[in-house]
Amino acid sequence: MNSEATPAVDSAAEGVNEAALIRAAQKGDQDAFEALVRAHDRGVLRLAMNLLRSHEDAYDVYQEAFLRVHKNLHSFRLDASFQTWLYRIVTNLCLDHLRKRNVRREESMVVETEDGVRDRVDAVTESRETGDPQRALLNRQLGARIQAVLGELTARERTVFQLRHYEGLRLRAIGQILGTSEEAAKTCLFRATQKMRVALGDFV
Amino acid sequence: MNCEMVKKNASLFLYGELSLEEEQSFQDHVEVCADCRQAFEAEKKTHGLLDRREMEPPPELLVRCRRDLAARIQAAAGRRNWLASLLDLRVAALARPAGALALVALGFFAARWTAPVPGGTRGTEAGLEPAVMRVRYLRPEASGQVQLIVDETRQRTVTGRPEDDQIRRLLLAAARESADPGLRADSMDMLTAERASSEVRPVLLYALQHDPNPGVRLRALDALKPFSGDREVRDALARVLLADDNPGVRTQAIDLLVEHKEDSTIAVLQELVQRENNGYVRLRCQRALEEMNASVGAF
Repeated sequence: MNSEATPAVDSAAEGVNEAALIRAAQKGDQDAFEALVRAHDRGVLRLAMNLLRSHEDAYDVYQEAFLRVHKNLHSFRLDASFQTWLYRIVTNLCLDHLRKRNVRREESMVVETEDGVRDRVDAVTESRETGDPQRALLNRQLGARIQAVLGELTARERTVFQLRHYEGLRLRAIGQILGTSEEAAKTCLFRATQKMRVALGDFV
Repeated sequence: MNCEMVKKNASLFLYGELSLEEEQSFQDHVEVCADCRQAFEAEKKTHGLLDRREMEPPPELLVRCRRDLAARIQAAAGRRNWLASLLDLRVAALARPAGALALVALGFFAARWTAPVPGGTRGTEAGLEPAVMRVRYLRPEASGQVQLIVDETRQRTVTGRPEDDQIRRLLLAAARESADPGLRADSMDMLTAERASSEVRPVLLYALQHDPNPGVRLRALDALKPFSGDREVRDALARVLLADDNPGVRTQAIDLLVEHKEDSTIAVLQELVQRENNGYVRLRCQRALEEMNASVGAF
């Protein structure tokens, strides 16, 4: 494709030159800030949604995280990783949400459907399933099982697992995000995957 | 590595979190130990199951997040120049009565039609203050005046038929320049009725060859179907066939090109069949050559 034809925002979203974008955004260039948001916001929302299992809480975290980035971008040092900085903000906000969440709120994460109780987020995302109903049922059972195990993980294990498995971050970066060592992140990941392996044994 | 270490490190191996030496040691052990090989296969399957549970945020939630963030930052800062382009204008486009009226939220594109106003100032709407304004350039003049180049953004809603001059210009701009592929595709749909016009056709041809989104390119290709015999369109299709990275676009380009059997088409298809990596596209290409009684190779 002709790169000239790619809108500026799109090419920025591909992370062509993030440092230049950050520099421009630090000088007040709102187009550059928008490009930074677009480059990362899908991952931010996905992470928040998967950690919090609530669209509204994920929405709140998204807003708060990017408002903080906007407010504090001037103090961001370019020799650091923007993604690590951003995800540290996001995971801290998510962990705060998880700490504050009460039992009633947890219960609101599930809804009654024809197939029984399902996670509210799954109920939405799986509405796009089409085709083989048996496969769809199996997927829902699998989803429920994974959901149950995720619920049993500690907040830290769940965060490490989410960041490594679904966001593809390295353990070293995850350690930085969580303010801990790479080894500690590795241990969390090991515990999380061990629990998953046991829980999903009969699906394998 | 011994069996215990291998079992402990299986998921780290799959995540690529072991050092090169550890990876080698892991692989060496798994090759010779049937139990660990079996456990490792189970671990891989578990990973595969987890992959299937990856969730993408619903598009409408992402749109709402972006829209509200833009509004909050704009509100916080007083003036910001990025609200309009962050807004998902597709929402406005979806709200239009089917096929009757085009409802276009006008924002980012407005500044492109600022017409000079006698007296040396520029403005898009007399009496309307722009929502966002940014000074791009400043030059003092000898007369004591100062010349400023100003980016202005204002939002308003424009309603009209796609064939109306102003609406068509806005749709053309959105089809060509919007950062949102959904809006580009919707704009193209609205312009399809006008595709024969000298203004619309170049936009469709450009989108077919250069739009970064394959869905939009397919939409442009679809709109150009009635003109598959035109030289300009055929040349564009030939270029797409050899350059587009999307197999769906290449397949449709083949279908359109072979509607008119020409020697130049045969040459393009022969070239494609030699370099095509996608099995289906290559097969479609071979069939097209057979239908044209041409050989698969040029020699």
